[in-house]
Amino acid sequence: MSGGVDSSVAAGLLLEQGHEVVGATLKLWGGVSDSGCCSVADVDDARRVAQILGIDHHVFNYTEEFNRHVVEPFVQGHVQGTSPNPCIECNRHIKFDVLFDRARRLGFDAVATGHHAQVLERGAVHELVRGADDQKDQSYVLGYLREEQLASLLLPIGAMDKSEVRIHAERMGLRTWDKPDSQDVCFIEASKGREVFLRQRVPLTPAKIVDRATGEVIGETDAAELMTVGQRRGILPGRDGEKRYVASVDVIEGRVEVGRLEDVLIKRIDLVESSLSFTHGAVANGEEVLVQWSAHGRVSRARFSREGECALLMSEPARPVAPGQTVVMYRVDEPTIVVGAAIVARP
Amino acid sequence: MTEQLYFDHAASAPRRDEVADAMERWQHGVVGNPSGSHRAAREARRAVEEARDEVGAFVGAKPGGVIFTGGGTESCHLAIVGATLAHRSTHDKSVIVTSRVEHDAVLDAAQFMADHFEDVEVRFIDVDADGVVDLESLRHTLDRDVAIVSVMAANNETGVCQPLDGVSSIANGSVPGGVVTHSDAVAAAPWLYLPSVTATFDMVSICAHKIGGPVNSGALIMRNEVPLAAVVPGGGQERGHRGGTVDVAACVGLAAAVRLTQKELVDLNDRVLDFQHKLSAALSFLPGCQVTAPSARKVPGTVHVTFEGLASDELLFLLDQGGVCASAASSCSSGAAVTSHVLAAMGVSPERARGSLRLSMGPETSEQDVDQLIAVLSSVVYRLRGGA
Repeated sequence: MSGGVDSSVAAGLLLEQGHEVVGATLKLWGGVSDSGCCSVADVDDARRVAQILGIDHHVFNYTEEFNRHVVEPFVQGHVQGTSPNPCIECNRHIKFDVLFDRARRLGFDAVATGHHAQVLERGAVHELVRGADDQKDQSYVLGYLREEQLASLLLPIGAMDKSEVRIHAERMGLRTWDKPDSQDVCFIEASKGREVFLRQRVPLTPAKIVDRATGEVIGETDAAELMTVGQRRGILPGRDGEKRYVASVDVIEGRVEVGRLEDVLIKRIDLVESSLSFTHGAVANGEEVLVQWSAHGRVSRARFSREGECALLMSEPARPVAPGQTVVMYRVDEPTIVVGAAIVARP
Repeated sequence: MTEQLYFDHAASAPRRDEVADAMERWQHGVVGNPSGSHRAAREARRAVEEARDEVGAFVGAKPGGVIFTGGGTESCHLAIVGATLAHRSTHDKSVIVTSRVEHDAVLDAAQFMADHFEDVEVRFIDVDADGVVDLESLRHTLDRDVAIVSVMAANNETGVCQPLDGVSSIANGSVPGGVVTHSDAVAAAPWLYLPSVTATFDMVSICAHKIGGPVNSGALIMRNEVPLAAVVPGGGQERGHRGGTVDVAACVGLAAAVRLTQKELVDLNDRVLDFQHKLSAALSFLPGCQVTAPSARKVPGTVHVTFEGLASDELLFLLDQGGVCASAASSCSSGAAVTSHVLAAMGVSPERARGSLRLSMGPETSEQDVDQLIAVLSSVVYRLRGGA
């Protein structure tokens, strides 16, 4: 429970359905933060919600695990010129791994969260399905969940849109906890940003910005680690007056290549084999899937390939995807159902 | 609802009826401001001064040395900050010497001074594997720049007692002209005879809610007159050491609590010492359980243990389900258990420190409670270890 409206209503609904509910807030970040979901103020909000609902509330400290599985890889990923998604890693390693284990040990039957996604029970199997509210769908950040986790996961608000959630909140007397959804990376101070956070931990590398087509140096940056493949913001247009996009980032060489959109489009996304995760069985070689590589990003069609390196072969050229990002795969015939996820490798 | 077994006296002791009764008179209707001159004020002042007499006697100090504060943290803060500020006014450099196992009330006050003043430095005394200060290490921290030496009487997490006489003798022997000494006796107060334990120290901090009194009530007691700047000067109350209207009920409550504690001290030690032995022995048979500082001198009320491979969060959750109120002894403001700096200073591995549990007892604890606790905790540990 974050003290926000989604997890609060989720807890309230379960209680109304007759479940025995205990609230838990995870203390994840030990450092300074002015955003996200783990400040003392948020814990206090969550505790107050639990009091209003009349349920017990506990705070679990996972700062060490969070640092090991989320913050450190985030920093190291940047050092290597990749862009890991910390929210996905947190879900994968903290909420749906160590917390699940703990819940089982403590005698709970299920873990519930306030994510906007749904678990669909079909006979003996469970499917992860997009949330009913398109604008709020969070199936992307849950893409690594597998059958064994889905079987004991409850997502009570996934079938609602946000306005319905707010109506429930009001009905339950929780409307004062209608705080804004957290959008930022919870361990980075919004007022200082990613650059300050990284600079406090690792040296950042100055780099030349090179036009891929001509080899011409068209600018420079004092931190290659902050450039993300696919990014356009902060890049000057070329001499032709056209927009330029980041095509590749080489931190070691201090070189960022940019190009016109049509020059940087990609036809395949290489995947890190060891990161592949499927809800049930593996997707077959050559099978078509829908892919999405950011939280509310567009969906593209691709063919899953296991010939040589694991990859997704795009049916139409796509904007480049940053290594380290997660790609979530959905079914083609039932486009709201997640089939698996993987991390994007360097091309 | 399961019956409640309260084993968290060291966090906050149950409020004694006698305390609540004594305070009652000062929590209704007209309560004069003790600084005033009319009859209601005089009556309030009299209650405060009578309380001061009792609190002074509890620590073996003259009544004039008692500064009433808003609790243990404030008392420690006043001692550290007040003595260091006073030292700064006559010296180029001021050093705060303290142990690595102090309560945050002391550590954070010292750090606060170092953060805000370039001429203030904090030096730490190392501790041994039991968490007892190393007197050799103390010697190395001392020179003519030392403003204050602060060492607790007993540790709030482990209950381990410190050799205060040794500390003061080395401190005063090594610094020309002697040095100001302070002892945080908050965790010691329910158990130790403070007039003798703190006899060689200049200042002693205590608080009411660890001995059955109200929260937000404590005292910094000056056993010797030492230079001390005011941290909150406004109004000049408490002989200029702590401004603000004196809370009569809080002072009376503290006095009632020290009166009871003093009266019961011998019996309580006698009784709870048996419980401590029984509990320690029983827990040491649980798989992976290690009693912290088993051979060190400890206050009788605390049994601190660590469980290999278990997490405090989970132990506390299941204990709570079983009706037991206990604590991991170190938690942050969110309520989450955090790795203890005390255990780290003792060289306990972070993995073991994660499975910390402090069970603390007091006047209300019965032998039956201890037996029930052993039963509940045993079943919790077996369950977390994959048993039934």
